[in-house]
Amino acid sequence: MLLERLRGWLRTRALPADQGAGDDGTSLFRERYHALRLLLAANNKALDTMAEMELAARAEQPFGMAFVHSRCTAVGVSVYAMVRHLDELAPGKYPELFAALSSIQVRIREVITAQKPRREVPLVVPLAAVDRGWTPDVGSKMATLGEAAGLLGLNVPPGFVITGAAYELLLAHNDLQPEIDRLIQTSDSDEPAEIFALSSRLQQLVVHTEVPAALADAIAEGYGALAATIGSRPAVALRSSAVGEDSPEASFAGQYATELNIRPEHLVEAYRQVVASKYSPQAMQYRLQRGLRDDWLAMCVGCMAMVDARAGGVAYTANPGDPTDRRVVISAALGLPKAVVDGRFVADEFILTHERPVHLVERHIASKHGRLTLDPAEGVVRQEISGAQQTAPSVSDAEAVRVAEIALTLEDHFGGPQDIEWAINPEGEVVVLQSRPLQQVAAGATQAAPAGVAPLLAGGLCVSPGAAAGHVNRVERDSDALRFGDGAVLVVQHPLPRWAALLPRAAAVVAAGGGIAGHLATVARESGVPALFGLAGVEALEEGLEITVDASGRALYPGRIEALLGADRRHASAMAGSPVHATLLDALALIAPLNLLDPGDVAFRPASCRTLHDITRFCHEKAVREMFDFGRQHRFPKHESKQLFHNVPMQWWVLDLEDGFNRPLTGKYVRLADIACQPMLALWRGMVAVPWEGPPAMSGRGFASVLFEATANPALATPFRKPYAQQNYFMISSTFMNLQSRFGFHFAAVEAVAGGRDHENYLGFSFKGGAADLERRAGRVAMICEILEERGFAVEAREDHATARLAGLPAAVMERQLELVGYLIMHTRQLDMIMNDPAVVAHYRAKIVADLARIASGELGAGG
Amino acid sequence: MAIKVLLVDDETSFVETLKRRLTLRKLEVLTAASAAEALALLAEQEPDVVVLDVRMPGMSGIEATREIRRTHPTVEVILLTGHASLEASMEGMTMGAFDYLLKPVSIDELIFKIEDAHRRRSLRLAGTDGERDGLDGHDRGTG
Repeated sequence: MLLERLRGWLRTRALPADQGAGDDGTSLFRERYHALRLLLAANNKALDTMAEMELAARAEQPFGMAFVHSRCTAVGVSVYAMVRHLDELAPGKYPELFAALSSIQVRIREVITAQKPRREVPLVVPLAAVDRGWTPDVGSKMATLGEAAGLLGLNVPPGFVITGAAYELLLAHNDLQPEIDRLIQTSDSDEPAEIFALSSRLQQLVVHTEVPAALADAIAEGYGALAATIGSRPAVALRSSAVGEDSPEASFAGQYATELNIRPEHLVEAYRQVVASKYSPQAMQYRLQRGLRDDWLAMCVGCMAMVDARAGGVAYTANPGDPTDRRVVISAALGLPKAVVDGRFVADEFILTHERPVHLVERHIASKHGRLTLDPAEGVVRQEISGAQQTAPSVSDAEAVRVAEIALTLEDHFGGPQDIEWAINPEGEVVVLQSRPLQQVAAGATQAAPAGVAPLLAGGLCVSPGAAAGHVNRVERDSDALRFGDGAVLVVQHPLPRWAALLPRAAAVVAAGGGIAGHLATVARESGVPALFGLAGVEALEEGLEITVDASGRALYPGRIEALLGADRRHASAMAGSPVHATLLDALALIAPLNLLDPGDVAFRPASCRTLHDITRFCHEKAVREMFDFGRQHRFPKHESKQLFHNVPMQWWVLDLEDGFNRPLTGKYVRLADIACQPMLALWRGMVAVPWEGPPAMSGRGFASVLFEATANPALATPFRKPYAQQNYFMISSTFMNLQSRFGFHFAAVEAVAGGRDHENYLGFSFKGGAADLERRAGRVAMICEILEERGFAVEAREDHATARLAGLPAAVMERQLELVGYLIMHTRQLDMIMNDPAVVAHYRAKIVADLARIASGELGAGG
Repeated sequence: MAIKVLLVDDETSFVETLKRRLTLRKLEVLTAASAAEALALLAEQEPDVVVLDVRMPGMSGIEATREIRRTHPTVEVILLTGHASLEASMEGMTMGAFDYLLKPVSIDELIFKIEDAHRRRSLRLAGTDGERDGLDGHDRGTG
C-alpha cells in the first residue's frame, strides 16, 4: 500500500526537476545544486538523529516512547527526502530505492508500535473470579487480591474489576491515544513545571472523555451484582490496578488515584478519575525513569465495597531498609489506612516476630492528632483526635498479631516479603486491601557523626538510607514544585505521594511527618534517594541553606560534609534493559548499522540496503556522482570544471555549483584568488601549511609489501570510475565543498558545509587505502582516527577505511577543523609503510600532533 | 519580496503565536483554521509555502497536502505536527510534502525550512520560465 503510494509519487510529481533551463544551463544547474544541497542537509540531519539515538541507546539518561517515535519519524523523513532529491538529480534512475526504504520503514513501524497481545475478556469481572492468571487483564493488584480472597480465603472486600479491555474500549471509542501521544510529543517534559502542566492537560483529557454506553452499562451491571451479593447498595472504593504495576522491580507505590467512599451514581466519574491518574506527575516521571512503555500500561480499576475502617495501615513482612531483618513491621493509624500511605499522619509502629507463633517485639505509640474517616455524604474527611485517644494504641496487640499472621500467610503464598495494606472493620475483623512485593534496600554503613559539627536537627525516622547534600527547597504545593531546583534537598511537611515526581531531581528528602510505610518513602528507597521522615523542627530550616542530610545517621548538618557523603546509592539508570530501551535498540538495528561500504563493490546498490543508514550512504554517494556527471555531460562553458592553476597547472579540478567563484571564468583555469568557497580555502590552507617531507623512508619489508599489493590488486577500488580516478575534484559553492581525491593508493573524500546556519554545518572526512598490507593500512587508519578523535571528531573505522564527522558548529570553527583535515590529507600519505616500526610511528605521530596544534592555534593556518 | 506563508492549524492560539513570530521575522503570514478554509484561501491568492498541521477536524493535513499539490503544484507544503507517526510522515512525504516537522520546533529551524522550500519553488518557477533546451531526453537517456 505504502509502496504503491511511494511509487505513485514518482508519477505524479508536479514538475520534473529538469523541465527547462536557460541557454547557459544556469537554472538547471542551480536547481540541481539546490536538490543536492537539500539532500546533503537531509543526510546531515539523518546522521545527527542517528547519533542522538545511539547516544540514548547507552541508557545513561531516561527517555520515553515519545523520543523513540519522534526520532524514528525524523530519521525516516530525512531519508525519504534524500531518496526524493536523488530522484530529482537522476530522475527515475533508482526506483528500487523507494521499495528498499518502504520495506525498512514498515519493519521499524512494526517494532515501535508492537502491542502486547491481550486476551478477549469481559469489560467487568467479579473480584472473586480472578486470580494471578488474570494479571494481564486486571492488573496485578486486583489479581493478587482476587487470589487472596479465593484461594487463601482471606477477608477481602467484595467487588469487581473494570478490566484492561474496558480501558482499551474507552481509549478507542474516543481515539484518545493519538491525542495523548501528541500532547506528550509537543511538550518539553524535562522541567518540573512542564511535567506538571503536561500531567494536568492529559488528566483533563481523560476526565472529560466519553464513556461508551457499553462500558457504562457493564459498570452498572457489575455494581448491581455487588449490591445483590451484599444485600444493600454500598459506597465503594475505586483502586487503580495498572497492568505492569507492582512487579518486583517497580512498585508504582502511590502513583495513581484511589477514590474512596464513592456513591454508585458517581461510579463512572470516579472511574475516569482513576484512569486519568495514569498521567499523574509522579506516575509519568516514574515510567520515564524506568523506561516503562506508556502504551503498554492499561489502567484497570478495582471497585470494592468501602470498608468503614476503625483502624488501618500497612504491614511489611520484613524490614524494608535492612534485608537481614526479617521481623514484621506494622504501621497503624486510627481510621482509614490512607492516613499511613499518604504520609499525612504519623503512625504507631509494631514490630513482631517472623517466626510463628507470632508475638510482639516492640511497640511505638505515636502522638496522633488526626484521622481520616468516611464522610456521610461521600468521600473522606479529616477528624481531629483529642484527649487520651491521641496516645492510645490504634490497634490492640492482639489485632497487631492477627495482622502479622495474615501478612505472613500472604508472604508464604506469594513468595518473598510483602507490603500489605489492611484495615480493621467495624466488626473487628482484619480486611486485606492490597498485597504486593516489598522492596528491600541494603542499609549501607552508617558513617560516624562528624566531629566538631553540631547537627541542625536530629531524630526522625530513616525511611531510605544514605546521605546527601544540597540546598533546602521547601515544597508545600504544586506551585513550589514547579520551581524545584536540580540537586536540591526536598523539604516537606507531609511526604505526599505526589512529590515522587521530584525525586529524580532531589538529592534527599526531609519531612516533618510520615513514616516508613508511606508511598513516598517506598519510591525514595526504590530510587536510592536518602530520606529522613518524621523529623521535628523542619519548619525552621531556612530556604536555600546548604545542608547535609544523613538519613542513616538520622541528622541534618549545616553545609556540605564530605565525610558523610558515601557513594551515590542512586541507581545509575533503570533504563538499561527496560521495555523502552529494548524498543529503541530494535528500531536502531534497522536504522544505524552501515552495511554499504565500498562504492566500487557490486553490492553497492539499492537492493542491498538493509538499514536507513545504508540508504543515506547510497543516496549520498550517487548524488555526488550525479552532480559530477551532470557537469561533465552537459558542456555548458560557464559550468565546466576548471583546472586549478597555482604557479603551474595542478592535478586539481574545481566545479562551481553556484557561487563558488568570485567572478565568471571563461578560460580553462581557476586560480586560488578566484575561489570564493571558504571551506575549500580552509582545506587548502591546511594542505599547504607545512611542506611535505616526501614519502617516509621504507624498510625492505615495507617495499616488498607494496610490490605485493600492487601486483595482487592493481585496480584498487576507486571511489569514481575512470577517468576521474587519477584526479582530484572539488565541487564548491561559497559555503559548500566536496572533494574527492586520490593520491596513489590513498583515497580521501571531504565534504563540508560552513555557513550561517550552525546546525546545518558539518564536516565529513573519509579515507581509505594505502599500499602496504592490510594490517599496516589499518594501523595507519587507526593512528589518524586517534588524532582526529583528540581533535573532537566522531570517528568510525573498519579495517583500512574510516570516516570522521563533526557537526553543528559555527563556520569559523568548521574552517579551522578543515585546515586540520587538509594537513592530514597531505601528511599521512604512505604512512602505512612505516606502521611496523613503533619508533618511527611515534616520531611521525608526535610531529603530526605538534603541527596540528600549531595550525589549531592559528600560527600556521593563514600562512601557506 | 517577503516569503508568503499560509499557516493552517486548528489550534488557534498556536497559529496566532506563530504568526506573530514569523511576521516579526519579515515573513508575510496568512492563517486558516482548517484544511477547507486553507483551500478556499488558496483559490484566491497563492502563498509560497503552506505550513500544515496533520490532525485537524475535517480534512486531514495529509489529504490537504495532496489537494494543494494537485491544484497548486508549485506551492510547497511543510507539515508541522505533534503527531510523531512514521506512517503519517511517509504518507505526507509521498503526497509531496517538502518536509514533516515535529512540534515543538525552534522558530529558526522552521524559518530555515520555509526558506529552503521557497528557494525550491523559486528555482522551479525560474526553470519553467526559461527556454527548454532539449536536455530532458538526453538526461533521461542515461537513466
